[in-house]
Amino acid sequence: MRLLRIAREGFGALFAHRLRTFFMMAGTIVGIAALTVIMAMGKGTEKMVMKRVNTFGPRAIMLIAGGGKDLPPPDMSVTTLTLQDAEAVREQIAGLETVTPMAWNFRMSATRDANQTSSVVWGVEPSWHAAWNWYTVAGEEILDDDVATMARVCLIGQTVKRELFGGEDPIGQRIYINTVSLVVKGILERRGASPEGGDFDNRVILPITTAMRRVMNVDHIGAIRMITEDPSLMSKQAEQVRALMRERHHITPPREDDFRIITAMVIAQLARGASRTLSALLIALAALSLIVGGIVMMNILLISVSERTKEIGLRRAVGAAQKDVFAQFLTESLAVTFVGMLLGSGIGFGVCQVLAQVQSRPVVLSWQPFALGVAFALLVGTFFGVQPARKAAKLHPVEALR
Amino acid sequence: MIKLEDIEKTYDTGSVTTPVLKGVSFHIEAGEYVAIMGASGTGKSTLMNILGCLDKPSAGHYRLDGTDMVNLDDDSLSRLRNRKIGFVFQQFHLLERATALKNVTLPLIYAEAYPGDAEQRAKGALGAVGLTHRMEYRSNELSGGEQQRVAIARALITDPTVILADEPTGNLDRKSGLEVLAIFKRLYRQGRTIIMVTHDLTVAEHADRIILLKDGTVAEDRVVPQPRDAEEELRTLSEEEETS
Repeated sequence: MRLLRIAREGFGALFAHRLRTFFMMAGTIVGIAALTVIMAMGKGTEKMVMKRVNTFGPRAIMLIAGGGKDLPPPDMSVTTLTLQDAEAVREQIAGLETVTPMAWNFRMSATRDANQTSSVVWGVEPSWHAAWNWYTVAGEEILDDDVATMARVCLIGQTVKRELFGGEDPIGQRIYINTVSLVVKGILERRGASPEGGDFDNRVILPITTAMRRVMNVDHIGAIRMITEDPSLMSKQAEQVRALMRERHHITPPREDDFRIITAMVIAQLARGASRTLSALLIALAALSLIVGGIVMMNILLISVSERTKEIGLRRAVGAAQKDVFAQFLTESLAVTFVGMLLGSGIGFGVCQVLAQVQSRPVVLSWQPFALGVAFALLVGTFFGVQPARKAAKLHPVEALR
Repeated sequence: MIKLEDIEKTYDTGSVTTPVLKGVSFHIEAGEYVAIMGASGTGKSTLMNILGCLDKPSAGHYRLDGTDMVNLDDDSLSRLRNRKIGFVFQQFHLLERATALKNVTLPLIYAEAYPGDAEQRAKGALGAVGLTHRMEYRSNELSGGEQQRVAIARALITDPTVILADEPTGNLDRKSGLEVLAIFKRLYRQGRTIIMVTHDLTVAEHADRIILLKDGTVAEDRVVPQPRDAEEELRTLSEEEETS
């Protein structure tokens, strides 16, 4: 293969001038490494966002008592949200699969004999199970009868079970929330840690009536959870709920809402945070580094063509055609960007491994940044290699040899 | 084998046109050893470039082995140089960092097919110029005379129709120059065609024919009755060194 022999001449020059070759490569290495890391971080963020959205419920809308923005801990002192509000939502907002009210207290003591723990207590209706897709692994769920009769029953999470019962079977046993005695009728599925670092399994679930009348002694509820039939309607429904609540709570401008509405989309936005803007900025930096690196490479190659004028003249004299000289120099630039890309990808993957160890956010490696790197390497190598190669090829042999 | 007919070369630098060659004609047959002579500015470099197919004449015809190079495009000229011409330059023009062996095989890279026995051939060529012991040396580790001998080996590797030497002894001391001329003489005796451009009559007289250029035309074309013998002069030189 003639072309292969000529390409080898290009590699030879790169090997002979290793330092120069490294300088030509630097921009590509940095650019591709940055790109690899950014894309891995971006993928990691998306994975985290997906996880949070799934935890929240991809079709869920939460109406939470207490105003404010973002996600502060729910304000339990706000008493304006009621069961009647839930009823109104159920009746007036179309396209909701489930509407389920919840009364909650995030810090109640649960005791059994000498064992005590501080636990999150939620009073719920039977539809809560479907709304959170959260069922029992043993025993029974909360039933309509329990709500109707204000039954002294509860479900406990895995953490509560461990704290109060150790290895024993809790079903049918008695625990105390504050001073109210309740019979454990079921054990909840394990949910693990919440994205904010809390423990989903440190939880006691009661019939909502029991919770409000017997345990918490309140007339208000903490939140209403809605599941939409059609996620594309979610924003519109959230607005409808907001209007309804402002009307029911007699809120007129300029007064702020005394509730918050959080949808799966809001969760996604919050989870992404500034990562989109940040990664756009970093991608711009990586691109800049590739372009600057390409320009540096082009200039070094142009200088190298000048330095090697005699060599080019000689090659022409012993039979190299213009296209052969062109191929030799383009090989040099392509080899530089390609090897730079391999090194950059390697460094990028290495940095990702380290980041995955030290960062709380996940880093997801994939083939895409590598494929993109190959494309960029070819693009930069060709774009910035053509001019020096052409300059070399266009040299007149007589003048080059002079 | 080499036929020049009314070769003209004019350099056009915008407003000024400078005629350098004004109708040069001569034939060189296979197996001849010809020196082209002339003072500087008489167009001998230009003629050399045309003979080497590095440049085209402005007018006239140049047939090398029957092919008129005037009609060829750049690619075909490159191929022609590769196959038919072996260059030896005044400044040697070797790849500095490459070994002698690598330098010698360079023309083969641009051949249509790379011969399987390329290395053997290169070794043979280096042997022919007496450099078997220097094959793995880089060219910048060699003396000037050795470098020029590597260049001759490089010119031989493609088994060209003609060897074109441009002031081959110009950058060498007397002894190295004579060694190069001795190699040319040996190649000539083996039947090679050699054209040597020089301004130095003592060098030119090693050839058996001298074409003298003057003012862009052939002023004289004569046979050298008693060509000098480089081997003999080398012997005399070493005797002189011993006695002194």
